[in-house]
Amino acid sequence: MADTQVNLQDVTKGLSKDTQIPHAEILLNFAEAIVKRDVAMISNTRNIVFETLGNDITVDAAAVASAFHGFVRIADTIGIPYDTAAQGQDVPEIREITGINNFYRIQEAN
Amino acid sequence: MSIKPFENINYDVRQDIVNAHIEAWERLAAPGTWLDSERRLAVATEVRQARSCNFCKKIKEALSPHALEGKHQSTGLLLDTEVELIHRGVSDPGRLSEAWTQKVLAGGLTQGEYVEIVGIIASVMIMDTTTMALGANETKLPKKVFGKPARYLPPGAKVKAAWLPIVEPEDAVETDQPLYPSPKVGYIYRGLSMVPETMRNYWALANTHYISGEFVYQFDKSIRAISRPQMELMAARVSGLHQCAY
Repeated sequence: MADTQVNLQDVTKGLSKDTQIPHAEILLNFAEAIVKRDVAMISNTRNIVFETLGNDITVDAAAVASAFHGFVRIADTIGIPYDTAAQGQDVPEIREITGINNFYRIQEAN
Repeated sequence: MSIKPFENINYDVRQDIVNAHIEAWERLAAPGTWLDSERRLAVATEVRQARSCNFCKKIKEALSPHALEGKHQSTGLLLDTEVELIHRGVSDPGRLSEAWTQKVLAGGLTQGEYVEIVGIIASVMIMDTTTMALGANETKLPKKVFGKPARYLPPGAKVKAAWLPIVEPEDAVETDQPLYPSPKVGYIYRGLSMVPETMRNYWALANTHYISGEFVYQFDKSIRAISRPQMELMAARVSGLHQCAY
């Protein structure tokens, strides 16, 4: 994973060509459809993931995207401090680069 | 009635995920720590209702999430303050605030009830999102189970890092029953610790969908068919779309 090239802005802006993860585009299209809860879009993007990567990765991708529908709700309803992320290794510069500093919770805190 | 998630779909779902859903629905239908079975199931029903609430849609689109006046389209099964927690927790979690949390609590919820409801919101969101993502119908809610809530309050729970009380690993006691796999667990893991049973139930479900804590910081290791970089890219994007800063 240390050798994987990722554009951190993809977190807020969507996939860029700088990110070099195999099949990133079809997986992120699937993830974004899931967040939108758009059934037709989910079906289309899921079919592409399945045809390209097979059953097990399709199931894993659905499961991971779903898991983070839970984590975010715990973090944001309980008010877990964002600077404790990554076991307290949160780096403010990364928050700035990714655009996370523009999120409501951080704007409200400042 | 037996619980049957992922019926009539074209995918072979990992058996640990299927089992986790069945067990999570069974636990959700049982009396909790502060809520009885009927109320827990009403929370699950309200989570589903929130997704079609027009007021929630307006809030989500509004520049300022707390400036709008209106009423949630609810099932009518719960208190207004419970409905507010559930609907905003489902629809716009990234734009909540400590002041809003205090207002919800002042509306008639105890901290324990609040945390238990959050655990149900998060669990139902995971399960319903997985079934939707794989093209399955929503799992039918189980029937209620008679019994009284356990009403257990961990003696070490205190407000420190978060808006709600948390049991820090060093404050956990034997009566809490096992809380943490490691004293170094992240704060996201500790979030529901004020209601230990809710916390254990939630992580039993969540770990099967993502990865368990022992693997979280082993970035070069993947225990799933999907690679770790692929997994983290999806996770980060989903969190980003929710405006989750954690």
